[in-house]
Amino acid sequence: MLSRVASHLYWLSRYLERAENMARILDVGASLALLSGRGDPQAANEPLVITDALEAFRAAGRPATPDAVARFLAWDQAYPSSIVSCLAASRENARSVRGSITSEMWENINDTWLQLSAKRRAGAEPIDSAFFDWVKERSHLFRGITFATIRRDQPYQFVRLGTFIERADNTARILSVKQARRQAATGDGLTDYYRLSAVLRSVSALEAYRDIYRDAIDSRRVSEMLIFDPTVPRSLRFCFDEVVRILEQLPQAPARAARRLAVHMHALLEHGALEDVDAVGLDAFLKRFLANNVRLGDAVHAAYMEMK
Amino acid sequence: MSDGALIPLPPPPGVFDEMLDPAANPRPHYARYAQWLASMPAEQMAGKRGEADLIFRRIGITFAVYGEEGGTERLIPSDVVPRIIAADEWARLERGLIQRVTAINRFLADIYHGQEILKAGLIPEEQILTNAQFAVAMIGMKVPRDVYAHVVGVDLVRHGNGSYYVLEDNLRVPSGVSYMLSNRKMMMRLFPDLFGHYHVRPVEHYPALLLQTLRAAAETDSPTVVLLTPGRYNSAYFEHAFLAQQMGVELVEGQDLFVKDACVYMRTTDGPKRVDVIYRRIDDAFLDPLAFRPDSMLGVPGLLAAYRLGNVVICNAVGTGVADDKSIYPYVPEMVRFYLGEEPILNNVPTWQCRRPDDLAHVLAHLDELVVKEVHGAGGYGMLVGPTSSKEEIAAFRDRLLADPGNYIAQPTLALSSCPTFVEEGLAPRHVDLRPFVLFGREVRIVPGGLTRVALRRGSLVVNSSQGGGTKDTWVVDADAPGAPAPAAG
Repeated sequence: MLSRVASHLYWLSRYLERAENMARILDVGASLALLSGRGDPQAANEPLVITDALEAFRAAGRPATPDAVARFLAWDQAYPSSIVSCLAASRENARSVRGSITSEMWENINDTWLQLSAKRRAGAEPIDSAFFDWVKERSHLFRGITFATIRRDQPYQFVRLGTFIERADNTARILSVKQARRQAATGDGLTDYYRLSAVLRSVSALEAYRDIYRDAIDSRRVSEMLIFDPTVPRSLRFCFDEVVRILEQLPQAPARAARRLAVHMHALLEHGALEDVDAVGLDAFLKRFLANNVRLGDAVHAAYMEMK
Repeated sequence: MSDGALIPLPPPPGVFDEMLDPAANPRPHYARYAQWLASMPAEQMAGKRGEADLIFRRIGITFAVYGEEGGTERLIPSDVVPRIIAADEWARLERGLIQRVTAINRFLADIYHGQEILKAGLIPEEQILTNAQFAVAMIGMKVPRDVYAHVVGVDLVRHGNGSYYVLEDNLRVPSGVSYMLSNRKMMMRLFPDLFGHYHVRPVEHYPALLLQTLRAAAETDSPTVVLLTPGRYNSAYFEHAFLAQQMGVELVEGQDLFVKDACVYMRTTDGPKRVDVIYRRIDDAFLDPLAFRPDSMLGVPGLLAAYRLGNVVICNAVGTGVADDKSIYPYVPEMVRFYLGEEPILNNVPTWQCRRPDDLAHVLAHLDELVVKEVHGAGGYGMLVGPTSSKEEIAAFRDRLLADPGNYIAQPTLALSSCPTFVEEGLAPRHVDLRPFVLFGREVRIVPGGLTRVALRRGSLVVNSSQGGGTKDTWVVDADAPGAPAPAAG
């Protein structure tokens, strides 16, 4: 398989996953604002902090209201990680490799873009739950179509690899910011509950938490589940089970560095426990994970996608 | 548009209509279709057209139009009324095409080797040797089986009396075949009942024939074939991706290939892989920045050196453009006589070469009647259609012509046949041409029909998709079995 094609496939799914994650963050942010009422000026900034977008937002010179933040992260074409930019980048990558994905996959991604353009042309630029649900659904649909139509060959593996590296990044970011903010806040039980349930809902894991713990939502357990649980599809452990499995299916020779790093990260998640996190602190643990995840992305690139 | 049945409108006087004879009755090979059409309500046809547009857009069969703000992805309209060719007529066209492309390949082998046709004095030497499309690098180089033009798209038009003329031979990177295939797929989806009753010859095997042709172009066993595209911003990118997928070969860009020890490799996730045949969809000038344009980002450094050593086959060969140049076109009938000893089956359009003073004088005196084209132009750009141009346009063009006469040729304005086309006013006659695709491998193969392009604007003679043209499905039909029942619209 062509290195350039591998790169396009990997980025097509990374961007799609990024758009989905942005929709999740914004959706939960909006509903949290409704539930917890006014009086928390930092809440408006939170989606910007999670997605590392504070500077870009300030540079855009917009008022720091929740609506302006959401509109920026969803619809700003100049900001490369906005939903609209991610979906555009995803489609551009797909267009370059139409011959390597199934026509159903391409038609789905193209149709997503056409629907998005129609929403924008209508002048609506919605930032409501219906829109965020739509983004999530389109992403779910693409994964379903991919699962159902593509041969289990290298193209499939690169699409999956992009999904899980991006998803692990996102879960770690959400956890890091939400937990840091929670610790800073005073111990108001009700606010705490909403914050934690928001974390869980943003990664579709509220029901999973209830099933696993059958108890009140507790901050340590939320961290434990989203880092170490092998059954929750957006946990770090689950993502790295997949990453390691995918790397086993790809050509081995060029990817020694990437595999070594991935296996190391996976071992910490597979055999680790909350005590390991406590030893360094949650924040430091997640920061190290995020840095390693970036290194892994670079190593995968160097192994398969670079045009030497 | 009025309700009720669809009755095709007759063409203006002097125009040959594909469907209607001069008495406005359907020609025999259209009789069954006309009967079916008469039972088809107009609003149902409109619904079908809407359905077709939707599917085309969703599949992403779009065409980039140069120099149009925001128009980077326009749909090429596909008409729902087919252009039908009778089997006996097709048989004659097919013979003519094979003859013509065979002669052209002989010509290319000749001018890059012995140059017998120049020695015989049939073509002025300077016409070839100073031609910008003449590739010095190809002189004396042997290509497998002496095939230079593997994929050829010959543009045919029909004059008022119904006879066919070759308008141009596209020998470099002819495109449009994906529209031929998409149109057929769409028509079969929209009108399955029609295909159940009509014996339309299939075209769907084109990609398989193309792959056979490309594999046959190499002298190695089981060669690795790739399709080289300029990339996704090229107007024909959809077609490149489509053909690569249909053939099951890699769609590569220049950056995917590299040359090492005079062999061509592609970069893959498993390491370098040797490439034997390149079906290139980029022009000669961009193939190799070391040999041609140094600013080209599309090509592969060192490719030409590998090619000259016979380590890779390029389809079509480098330097075929010298034979489809409009200044060489007038000599093609001579090539048929010279190399094959046969009379040409297909006509050439009479052509005035403005580099000749006598011809130029004639052209200047008749600008309002003629079509004047740039010798190297393509895509309907930089041409004058005298009868439909204003005085100011003609005057402006005259200045350009006088500034560089050698850059132009002129031809009579052909009426171009018309074909009923489903437009706002109903079934109206619109001008069409025909581009069959000729594949030159171990044998010459042509899928029946080709791409019919249609000028959708009333009275327009320009069928190029960049100039508001559309396309039609093209049917070659076998003669009716006697007594066969006519289909009815469902």
